[in-house]
Amino acid sequence: MSVIRTTLFAAALAVVLSAPARAADPGITDSEITIGLFAPMSGPLAAFGLDALQAAKMWYEETNKKGGIHGRKIKVIVEDDKCVPNEVVAVVKKLITVDKTFIVHGGSCTAAAVAAQEFVTREKVPHVMLNASGDGAVIPPTRYVFGAFAGTQRTVGATLAEFAVKELKGKRIAVIAHDDEYGVANSATLKAVATALGAQIVAAELISPRVTDVTAPLLTIRAANPDVIVSTAYPGPAVLIGQKYGEFAMMKTPLVQAIQGIPVPAVYAKNVGNDAALTNFYYGSPLNDLTEGPKQQKWLALYKQYYPDRQPSGFMAYGLPSAMAVTRALEKAGKDVTRESFIDALETVNFDSEVIAGPTAFAKDRRDGARSSLFIKFDGKTHTLMPGVYTWDGKAGM
Amino acid sequence: MSPLLLQGVASGIVTGCVYALIALSLVIVYKSSDVINFAGGEMVMLGGYLGMFALLWLGLPYLLIFPFGALMIFIVGALFDRVVLTRVVGRTIPGQSILVAMIIGTVGLSYVLKGAVRVIPYTEEVRRLPPFSSGAPIFIGPVVLQHQDIAIVVAAVAIMAALWAFFSFTLVGKALRATSQNPRAAALVGIPVRVMSMTAWGLAAALAGVAGILLAPKLLITPDMGVIVILALAAAIIGGFVSLPGCVAGGIVLGVVQNLIGLYVSSRAISLAPFLVIMIVLLLRPQGLFAGKAAAKKV
Repeated sequence: MSVIRTTLFAAALAVVLSAPARAADPGITDSEITIGLFAPMSGPLAAFGLDALQAAKMWYEETNKKGGIHGRKIKVIVEDDKCVPNEVVAVVKKLITVDKTFIVHGGSCTAAAVAAQEFVTREKVPHVMLNASGDGAVIPPTRYVFGAFAGTQRTVGATLAEFAVKELKGKRIAVIAHDDEYGVANSATLKAVATALGAQIVAAELISPRVTDVTAPLLTIRAANPDVIVSTAYPGPAVLIGQKYGEFAMMKTPLVQAIQGIPVPAVYAKNVGNDAALTNFYYGSPLNDLTEGPKQQKWLALYKQYYPDRQPSGFMAYGLPSAMAVTRALEKAGKDVTRESFIDALETVNFDSEVIAGPTAFAKDRRDGARSSLFIKFDGKTHTLMPGVYTWDGKAGM
Repeated sequence: MSPLLLQGVASGIVTGCVYALIALSLVIVYKSSDVINFAGGEMVMLGGYLGMFALLWLGLPYLLIFPFGALMIFIVGALFDRVVLTRVVGRTIPGQSILVAMIIGTVGLSYVLKGAVRVIPYTEEVRRLPPFSSGAPIFIGPVVLQHQDIAIVVAAVAIMAALWAFFSFTLVGKALRATSQNPRAAALVGIPVRVMSMTAWGLAAALAGVAGILLAPKLLITPDMGVIVILALAAAIIGGFVSLPGCVAGGIVLGVVQNLIGLYVSSRAISLAPFLVIMIVLLLRPQGLFAGKAAAKKV
């Protein structure tokens, strides 16, 4: 009898010991990994998220076509967060507690993504942001949140400064930024990098994101006589700046705008409505090429295969690196992946996504995935890639 | 005077003229119904989009988009008065303030207009009307002005003059003034008060719409451009909220003050300018700069 009991006990112990650790984490079986994918797909901010989300979904489907990861197929549960913080929290709670997803992957607006941070940290569920890139979500780093796959505002500021000084030979830089969290982050880094490179900040104008007239800041900048003007304004104010820059005939001084002000360059040119204002104009981009350049063509073609009726917005490609990072980390974590081992693996990824300008990488003390930009000269019709890739060192502006 | 100051003042006068037009729209509503129209900004926004619709889709000549936009928004304003405000007033229970209910009605209208515009996919991106007058910049000494700027000032002044003539010399204008001063007496002499109220709302909406078309080449059209109403509110308060010439002057003062604050204090302070002006006027001269101490609320 005791032999039977001992045998049964040994067998039970063997089963317990041999059971994969993954059993403790929901959302993963021997054949499937469930990922909660969310972005704004309706409402005024849908343009930021819809194509990026569909691109991420496309990547997961491509991965499944190639056999999945360690024999498991990726199952995606999609939710619409509308970029509204309360909606994001509700969506994340639903995905984690009701749908029992292994990780959550989503968020196109930083403020909304930050709202979910407390919950994912408490539940110890990895949250990989889709294309939200605000500093607030990833700096300072927290264990469970990864993002900024197109670079934070510190990256925007640092790379603009580097381009203005190194490529445009600026010695006297004028800066226009918004007086919000984004503007404070990018302008502080911009000033730090420009100063470190030996340039002088001769004007630093902080404007409201809801500004309706930029006469005063542009006049102040004109009076300061800079040799490069750098702007990190959003699309509306960016156009106002472009208009006034043209009206005040400041075209001898190059104007460089950050990507957030120029989501669609042709629309920017049309709204500025003055070809002369584009004779000395540049904008930054986190991508590795022009939006429709040769290096982006394969992604555009793939997207067309999956969504033949949809013309993708410029935000489409931004959804890919985050999905690539997720699949790489799942591969690295091995067959017995857990949420914690997934995070450990994600902390070690460092790869060329063939989508963005520099590597996509994380580390134990780094949660922003991208730190590089390139720059494009745009005269209203022709886009010309400028030489070099500019990279934030991760220190300036911290 | 320094060139910087001159340019700031000149540009301020241009934008101030548009603030003045929106302020006129607010004052006309206030004088006719004692209500501050919180949907005034959204009427400006709707004007901008209607102007673009008329220009790009209907292919109307630029000059015709002004009467087209004005007519369309006149209908919106008049219908709002007839369909919403009349019912709101009729359903107010004893002890409940009619004015509060009406003001909430205007807040509701602002959300309805903004929401209605947002469901159109075309509004996802910022848009701009082409300038209705273009050419090489005009240099007046050190001051640079665009043809568009001159056209805005001329159009705003022409509209203000037409408004003055309408209220002073036409029967409808006089009937509107009579209704705003004493609706009961106006009704007793045979003025259709209900129609006058609709006309006042329609006229105010049309003014806001025209201001939107004038602004659209300068400020871009977005569903959120209605926030500009706060500037018009400040302009109206400077003018005392009942004086039409006062709010015109208030708009111009505000446009100039904004630029001067931006130039000599900080660009960050530009958005504070209207609130600062509202507070200073309310503290030092609550009746406004252009109303006497003993002035009646309605003139």
